[in-house]
Amino acid sequence: MRDRLRRVDGGSVATHVILSLGALVMVFPFLWQLLTALKTLGEAVHVPTTFLPEKWNWSSFEEVFTALPYGKMLGNSVINTVGRTVGQLVFCSLAAYAFARMRFRGKNVLFALFLSVLLVPSSLLVLPQYDIIQRLGLLNSAPALFLPGMFSAFGTFMLRQFFLSLPRELEEAARIDGAGPFRIFWSIMLPLIRPALAALAVITAMWSWNDLLWPLVVNTDPAKMPISAGLTSLEGQFETNYPVMMAGSLIASLPMILLYLFLQRHFVQGIAQSGTKG
Amino acid sequence: MRRRTLLAGALAATPLAAGCSTGGEASGTAEAGGRTTLTYGMWDVAQAPGMQQIIKAFERENPDVSVEIQLTPWNTYWTTLRTSMRGGTAPDVFWMNAVNIQLYAANGVLEPLGEHIERDRTPVGKHPKALVDIYAYDGEQYGLPKDFDTIGLWYNKELFDKAGVKYPDSSWTWDDLRDAARELTNPKARVYGITAEMDRQSKFYPTVFGAGGYVLRDGRSGFADERSIEGLRFWTDLVDRGWSPPQSAMAEVRSRNLYLSEQTAMNYDLSAMASFMYGTPAIKDHGGVTVLPKGRERATVIHGLANVISAKSRKKKAAWKFVDFMARRPAAEIQAKGGVTISSYEDTQDAWLKSMPEFDLRNFIDMLDYAVPYPSSRNTAVWEDLEYLLLGAPFSGKGNIEDAARTLAKQMDRALDEEDK
Amino acid sequence: MAVFPSTAAAEAEGRIRRPRTKAGPGGATRGPNSRTQKAAYLFIAPIGLGFLLFYIWPMFQTFGYSFTSFGPFGGNSWIGGDNYARVLQDVTVWRAVGNTLLYGAIGLVTLPLSIAVAALLNRRGLRGVSVYRALYFIPFVTLPVAVGLVWNWLYNGNFGLLNEVLSWFGMSRHYWVSDPSSALWAIGLVSVWQSIGYYLIIFIAGIKGIPQDYYEAAELDGAGPVRRFFTITLPLLSPSIFFAAIICVINSLQMFDLIYVMMAPTNPALGSTQSVVSLFYQWAFQQNNQGAAAALAFVLMLLTASLTYLQFRLQKRWVHYA
Repeated sequence: MRDRLRRVDGGSVATHVILSLGALVMVFPFLWQLLTALKTLGEAVHVPTTFLPEKWNWSSFEEVFTALPYGKMLGNSVINTVGRTVGQLVFCSLAAYAFARMRFRGKNVLFALFLSVLLVPSSLLVLPQYDIIQRLGLLNSAPALFLPGMFSAFGTFMLRQFFLSLPRELEEAARIDGAGPFRIFWSIMLPLIRPALAALAVITAMWSWNDLLWPLVVNTDPAKMPISAGLTSLEGQFETNYPVMMAGSLIASLPMILLYLFLQRHFVQGIAQSGTKG
Repeated sequence: MRRRTLLAGALAATPLAAGCSTGGEASGTAEAGGRTTLTYGMWDVAQAPGMQQIIKAFERENPDVSVEIQLTPWNTYWTTLRTSMRGGTAPDVFWMNAVNIQLYAANGVLEPLGEHIERDRTPVGKHPKALVDIYAYDGEQYGLPKDFDTIGLWYNKELFDKAGVKYPDSSWTWDDLRDAARELTNPKARVYGITAEMDRQSKFYPTVFGAGGYVLRDGRSGFADERSIEGLRFWTDLVDRGWSPPQSAMAEVRSRNLYLSEQTAMNYDLSAMASFMYGTPAIKDHGGVTVLPKGRERATVIHGLANVISAKSRKKKAAWKFVDFMARRPAAEIQAKGGVTISSYEDTQDAWLKSMPEFDLRNFIDMLDYAVPYPSSRNTAVWEDLEYLLLGAPFSGKGNIEDAARTLAKQMDRALDEEDK
Repeated sequence: MAVFPSTAAAEAEGRIRRPRTKAGPGGATRGPNSRTQKAAYLFIAPIGLGFLLFYIWPMFQTFGYSFTSFGPFGGNSWIGGDNYARVLQDVTVWRAVGNTLLYGAIGLVTLPLSIAVAALLNRRGLRGVSVYRALYFIPFVTLPVAVGLVWNWLYNGNFGLLNEVLSWFGMSRHYWVSDPSSALWAIGLVSVWQSIGYYLIIFIAGIKGIPQDYYEAAELDGAGPVRRFFTITLPLLSPSIFFAAIICVINSLQMFDLIYVMMAPTNPALGSTQSVVSLFYQWAFQQNNQGAAAALAFVLMLLTASLTYLQFRLQKRWVHYA
């Protein structure tokens, strides 16, 4: 018995060592990003490199905000993220419920059509989507950012799975009580899949915040760009000013990292139940 | 991709500190009377204050017109412009460059200026002819230049002194440059003689022209021409001999920064960079500039921006007044005083020359006699992308420049054929 | 929008139960009554219209675009198969396809790494599992543009930390993202680094779904941890691995953000790192060749579809459904 305990201990020390080294590799770039952002350009490009800044220098952070409407860009990212997330929660849950719990003619055909949306790479759609946004007169506007992203086949499928798993009795009881389909959906079924909605919300929020190609295409006015595209503008302007670029990238990625740290459980659930990118 | 570098360097150097003040008063009063308000599209924040002064002078002369600046940063300027053209919301007057002029002119989205010029006797002849020609297409003038840029040989006197090499001057040939590069290269001190960066405007176009070659003629690529290849080899040879870092070592740091940090003794660079160099104490102290050394011929590249009028503008009369005003001496003088760019109007560069007495900036003006216009076609961007895509390897000391140049010529020809469709 | 619901992983975690009856639950016994029917259409209508406008109609439009030549300021003309001819003849396309496939292959390296970490985290009684999981996952939620910038800085040939660290071991400096021989690998590595955490979560869920008694039985038989991993964990994880491999390849084929951020236009390694999507972006939005870009998009779809099909064909050989 004692032997076995010791063996487990030795093993778990080794495990911790390996896992910690891995974790260091995952986290170190962020630390370096912060340290570089706090150095002057002269110190950042000095060889041999200093690890800690000689003097904590915050001017790069200021420079980011004077060089570009960075605050506005962050705001645009928030609008984009909220727009897409709310849209998906509403539209996907409605359709998911219908596909999971209702019978209607043409269900299979429609479902297959939805499935096809799932399989098409976004680059195939971006040109016509751009033209549509242009025809709607929405280029360089907030809705341009989130309009197509409000409709998600992935979200529909994910929520449908959850609706399928709910027991039938609840619905039937409500129906006998005379509740209409929307009442049943809204006040009985929807609350039951709250964990799934939360998971979908955080995953959608993450993709929306991080999306680059679409905003790069539709919103070219700096005041209307989200932060992802804004950061590429910053790169264009400060090409070799590394501290400013590190400061800019830190500001741009921090909101999503914080959201993740606060809502970890939902992120993990969202990922574990689904796989998506783009 | 986004950092296509025609004049983009100037942008990189200047944070948008001044902010985007586009003259609140102007737009305020515009509503009041029956005045015409023009929109003016540009991308360089550093030039905004100077432009604002020109606008004020213009408005004083034309009280019924006011001008509002629309500032779009370089990396989205062209896409924004194109979409706003399609949507009919383009600015009335805007900045144009060599890469894009023919695309816009050929598609009929620019107002032809010939008639206006003739009627109002706009002093077009006071601007360098090579520059004016860039903005002519199919026998018609579409833009009037506002500023210009040529390429000069920047050098570091201290590094020359250390190596015991005589400073370059107008008598230099390519052989002199090569000899000096060899002498100046000092691996121990991590100093290179020169920087053979893969940059079309400031590096390989000047030498292609200097070798007697060409980039584009009658809709055909010049890169397969023996002389053109010689002009390219001028650079790759310097890399192969170890007198310049390879392109792979410069892509991240850029030759300009190597020059500023005194890691290279010589660098071909734009006149527009003068004020930037001037802002670096070491270079202000012991930097110098002279004309490009002579190859088979004397040559440099000239480029400059022009003001153009949108064909869709509904205020063309006022727009022309403004463009005409900017092509004349008073506007040029205001611009010259700003010191950010070199005005293209004859003999208005004095203020600029005097602003940096340590540098012999007159060289840039002397080179106008043999400056070759920046080459462009209707879809310049396509084959410009090809240049960097295909020349990167030989400029990094890998692969034969002649093969790369011939491949480039073939693919460029195909791209040019496509333009005609 | 390449997306697959990870039913395998979810089921393994016991979150999703398949409906018992074949017919859907709602009104399974009665025929569809007209009221529910109407409601169902109303429920589907908003997203259906959205799909129609932004996804289904554009799909057909892109197909049309691929036979069209576009003027830079509007106006277009039908040119038949010319765009496809151009795509097939262009060397840069084939290079981009090759690069993209290589990104896919590099991306697959993520899977064994993630499985290894997941297996280590699954160790009985290990403390701090949630902390590790959180740390490994951070790169995945980070803005890819920011990730690209940070890694470019680490990779920087002149001032980058990587070169400095390597110089302690006597290695000479290398221009990781500017040397054509290393640039693609450097970018691929960043995407591996970024997605380890994502697959980690899928595999942790998968491993949790493996009944504990299998391990206990094996332990009684005297199987060590390594043997248990190869005889129990790996085979029973194979549905998750299969799912992850599909996602991984599809995502790698979509490589864009990192390349866009990490490669400057004068970078001599540009040609050897460009992916199909970055070429698409260049054609469509920088060179104004929407027609050829549309044709290129179809090439990408074909590539994606055939690789996914291939994986489904191959799955029979190695995926065990318990």
